[in-house]
Amino acid sequence: MPNKSTGFANPWFHLALSVLCVAACQLLLKLGATETAHIASERWAWTGLSGLASLYVWLGLPLIMLSLLTWLQVLRSIPLSIAFPISQVPHVLVPLCSWFLLGESITGLRWCGIALISLGLALVAKPVARLEERL
Amino acid sequence: MTIISLVLVFIALFAFVAGQLLLKKAMDAANLSGFKSPKFFWPLATGVFLLGAQFFLNLGLLQRFDLSFIYPFQGLSVIIIAVAAAVVLREKLSIQLVAGSVLISAGIVLVSLTS
Repeated sequence: MPNKSTGFANPWFHLALSVLCVAACQLLLKLGATETAHIASERWAWTGLSGLASLYVWLGLPLIMLSLLTWLQVLRSIPLSIAFPISQVPHVLVPLCSWFLLGESITGLRWCGIALISLGLALVAKPVARLEERL
Repeated sequence: MTIISLVLVFIALFAFVAGQLLLKKAMDAANLSGFKSPKFFWPLATGVFLLGAQFFLNLGLLQRFDLSFIYPFQGLSVIIIAVAAAVVLREKLSIQLVAGSVLISAGIVLVSLTS
């Protein structure tokens, strides 16, 4: 009997994939933004449109789609009150990768801020998920 | 960070939250009245537009700031959702929600000091 919840159909695998896609996408967008910052015209820089000149940004787009599709799949089998708190993991993952992979220098003050945000998210994620389910 | 950048951060944030809630509305409408219903199409179209706007605004901000500076601001989105839900559902926010929101806000203030 084929078990729907093993291997690649496992919802926990989808959840992990969704989280990793969100984080990887942010890193790619940052790489693309850095690469194109100098060609942004002063007047239209705020639109971010010049970022489209970078291949990294185009690589990030399918990751957004994948994170969305896997997330929809997750919602079919894992309750939001469990899935949503886990979906906040990028708030820890993205700064760590910014530091480790992109070499951003993060000051003590910024780490403190990131730690407070993560702590706060851990507190509110479950109740927010319960509220959002009824919204 | 300039005031204009801060305003852009907040516009992107609200577009992100509103876009996500509209997509959820569209999916609920599709389950109730099918994919041809205008109750599915309009929230979907508006939601996709808002998320697209957020994508480009975020890209523009990343051209000027560190990722470890810009990304933490998204932590505010859960507070926006909580407040919106409390208003729409006419419900008091629990102590846990308020305490967590205070921690997140304090964290955002610290991060915003480091640009």
